[in-house]
Order: sequence, then structure tokens, then C-alpha cells
Amino acid sequence: MVGMPGEALRVSRAQWRRSLSDAVRAAFAYHHERNAFYRAQCDAVSPSDIGDYADLHRIPLLPVGMFKQAGAHVLLTAGLADIETEIRSTGTGGVPSVARRDALTTTRASVGIIGGYRDLFGISKGAGVFLCPSTAEVPEMGMVKVFNLLTAMLDDHRYLVRNYSFDPEEALAYLRGWEGRMTRHIIGPPFIIARFMRFLELESVSLTLDPESMIIMLGGWKQYTGRSISREEFNDKARRFLGVDTGRVRDMYGMIESNMLAIECEYQRKHVPPWCYVSIRDIADPAVELQPGKTGGIAILDALNTAYPGFLLSDDIGDVDESDCPCGRTGQTVRFRRRRQGAELGCCAVSIEKYLDSNEAVAECELVDVAGRR
Amino acid sequence: MPRFSPRVIDHFTNPRNCGRLEKADVAAFVGNPVCGDQILLTARVREDAVSEIAFEAFGCSASLAVASILTERLTGMALPEIAVVEPAQIADWSGGLAPDQQHVAILGADVSHRLAANYRDGTRDDIPVSAG
Repeated sequence: MVGMPGEALRVSRAQWRRSLSDAVRAAFAYHHERNAFYRAQCDAVSPSDIGDYADLHRIPLLPVGMFKQAGAHVLLTAGLADIETEIRSTGTGGVPSVARRDALTTTRASVGIIGGYRDLFGISKGAGVFLCPSTAEVPEMGMVKVFNLLTAMLDDHRYLVRNYSFDPEEALAYLRGWEGRMTRHIIGPPFIIARFMRFLELESVSLTLDPESMIIMLGGWKQYTGRSISREEFNDKARRFLGVDTGRVRDMYGMIESNMLAIECEYQRKHVPPWCYVSIRDIADPAVELQPGKTGGIAILDALNTAYPGFLLSDDIGDVDESDCPCGRTGQTVRFRRRRQGAELGCCAVSIEKYLDSNEAVAECELVDVAGRR
Repeated sequence: MPRFSPRVIDHFTNPRNCGRLEKADVAAFVGNPVCGDQILLTARVREDAVSEIAFEAFGCSASLAVASILTERLTGMALPEIAVVEPAQIADWSGGLAPDQQHVAILGADVSHRLAANYRDGTRDDIPVSAG
């Protein structure tokens, strides 16, 4: 399941439900037995109550905001001595959310994400410009950590946001330098790739990438200013200014507290990895699970995590689709719609954008306000 | 060397002096705007030395532990001494910090210096953090 998520996402729906339920149930039992704080939240449910897929929604959830609290140590099932990585995300509020992973979870997540990249992107060579800071510059930033795993599959790459400044000329120079030698990819949060395309538009630069080129994104479409980037407009510009077809423009959705990275297929549906179950909850009463297709609070039940219970109620609003995807994968696809009312706009991309915007070098590449056109 | 020293593990798991003092004589806040680590110290001062101190902190485990360790170490310390606390001293108090945790020692030194300076100058920091 972890090493070959592509296979696990192509089994029959009944088999997918069975293996997912087994994995999530085992994870629930693991944390219920070892984590006194979590067990105390489970007064009405025990592992023996979780029989099959229909019972998964009964597993108690932890609000994701708890990862920002000073007393977050109570969330840990593993001791701090066993924690290997701390990944963080900082939103507009400035208080970081910190997710601590032990060695087993780190291994599982790394293998699982790379397996997802292999399945959904099929990349094993080429060159990429990463329009974000490097892991050396921001070693604990979740989004960058997830992007960084992609470099293992490329022959060359460059991180082009340094000291929170981005020079689109430099990105252009690298892409031109690799032309005819390697398939070129662009990786980064949507807002900065949109800035790059805006630069190409303003400078009337003609750039056609390669037939297998991809644009790979993570970080959300909402800017720290509250404006949204239009996906349709983005796809259109990717085609016009970079020569990349919509089927090769791929967004991803995830959150640092979970090992779920939902990656888009060529039909732009974000596939939930086989070790996670996304449960949509009634916004007024999170104990109530909504049917696929209904919009509500996104909860994620992640079977990989041994550091803390990966059963999370997020601040995101969205929906799931359990119909078979034309790409041939079964399981769930998830669609993020917006943040919960009152929740801060929070992600790594927002943090990068906020600091980039303080740099005059990118002032000329400001995005136009597209919010009114949505 | 393990990633976390036994002292950091102890203070992270059992934080001391956590919270915010009411009617504190001085408050000092330091935050790293990029990574988001934040430490707030509030203290009462008697005869130019810290008599009581509390912390609020957000961020990585080492940040939370160092904030707790600071409250123990700064209690009873004279403000002129606090004004010159070195990052190396804080790393030592923490039982050692891994290379990627060294920024926490700097953060700890910065907030200590700020506490001493704020008391000397009679300034109060805006406090953007909420009680944890």
C-alpha cells in the first residue's frame, strides 16, 4: 500500500474499502492503547467498535488547531526521544503548527509520497525549477519538504526563491538553458508560478516547454491578501505562455499534520492515498459524517502515523467523490473549497508570499486582482 | 548524540512556569517571523533581580523546552546578568542542542536581553501570542 500506492488505488472498490479499513482500524488500536490523552477523548468508542468501512467515521478526531498549542506534547503517542522530524506551517496568524514525526512515520510518509509521485506523475528524469525556497533555507517548512522529495526523480533542479526574493529572469534562464537537453518541469506554489507567467506575459516572452513537461503545485490558491487565483485562468496561461496542457498541470492538497498528500491525475481530480480516509463532516456538528458529494469540514484519518493519532479534523471545507475516476483509479478524490469561517489563512505558501511581497524586486510582477472575476 | 537532550525532553514533556504572570513588572516577546518560533516572558522583579517568571512559547520542541528552562535559570538572576546571556550558555543549560536547533539558543538569548532592556527602559512589548 505504501510502496506501491498506484496498485492499491486500482483494486476493486470492495478491496480498497477492506484494506483501508484494516489499516485505519489497526492505527486506531495502536494509539488507543498507547496514548492516554487520546484514549481519554474516546470515551464512547474503542477499537473493537470499528468493524468495517462504515464504522471509520466513529473514530474520534483531534482538531488540527491543537498542533499550534503550547501543550501539544500531550498529542504524542511516541516520546520526544523518538521524534525524528518536526515539520511546520505558519499561516497569517503567525503561530506555527508543528507536526512531529517519529522514524517509522517519516519513513512511511517519504516512501508513500514518492510512490504517489511515481504513480501520478510518472517522472524519473528531467530538470525542474522549484519556485520556492530550498530546504536548506527553510528546513522545517512542510510544503518545501514535500516538494524536495521530487528532486530524487530529477536529473537537475534549482530552488529559485532565496532570501525571500524571486527573480523570474533567473527562472527563465534555467528553463532556456535546459532546452533540448532535458524535459523541463516547474514546481512551486500556484501564486509564484502565476507571477512567473505574469512576467512572461508582460515581457512578451515566448517559452514552450516540452511535451512531457509538468507544472506541479502545492500551497493553495488563496493569497495572503485574501484574493484567489483562478484555476481556469491559470490553466489557460500555462497553455499560452508555457505550452503546458491542462492535463499536465497538477495541483496537490495536503496538510503538514497528516501524511495525506492528494495528488491530481490528468483529469485534475486529487486522489486520496490508500492509507487515508477522508471523511466530510457537518460544519455545525462534526460528529455527523456527510455523504460523498456533500460539502463540509474535511477530516482525515491517516493510518501511517505512529507518532501521534493521525485522526484530524481540519479547518478546511471541501467534499469527496467516491465515483471511479476516468484515469482508472478507485478510492476517494478530495476537493478543497475554502477555509472554515474564522480559521486563519494558513499554509507555507501564504507565509512565503507574505515575505516575498516585502521585496521590491517582485513588485512589478504583482498579480492582478482576479477575485472579482470568479 | 541523540536529537534531543534528556533536559530538553524533560522540559518539553513537563514544562515549568507555563503561562503569563498577572501584573508583571516586565514582559518581553521575541518571534522569528520566518519559522514562527515565539517566546514570551513575563516577570516580576525585586531588587534588580527576577523574582518570578513565566513563559508562553510556540514552535518547535526545542523552543518550548528552552523557554521552560529559561524560566528556571533566570529566576533569582540579576538583570545585568540576564542582559548578557549568551546563546552558548543557553545551549549548555539545555544539555546540548543539535545543529538545526541552534536557532533556539539565539532566540532564548534574544528574549533574555529584551527582558533586561525592557525593564531598564520601562518599555512593554506588544504581545501577539495568546495563552497556550
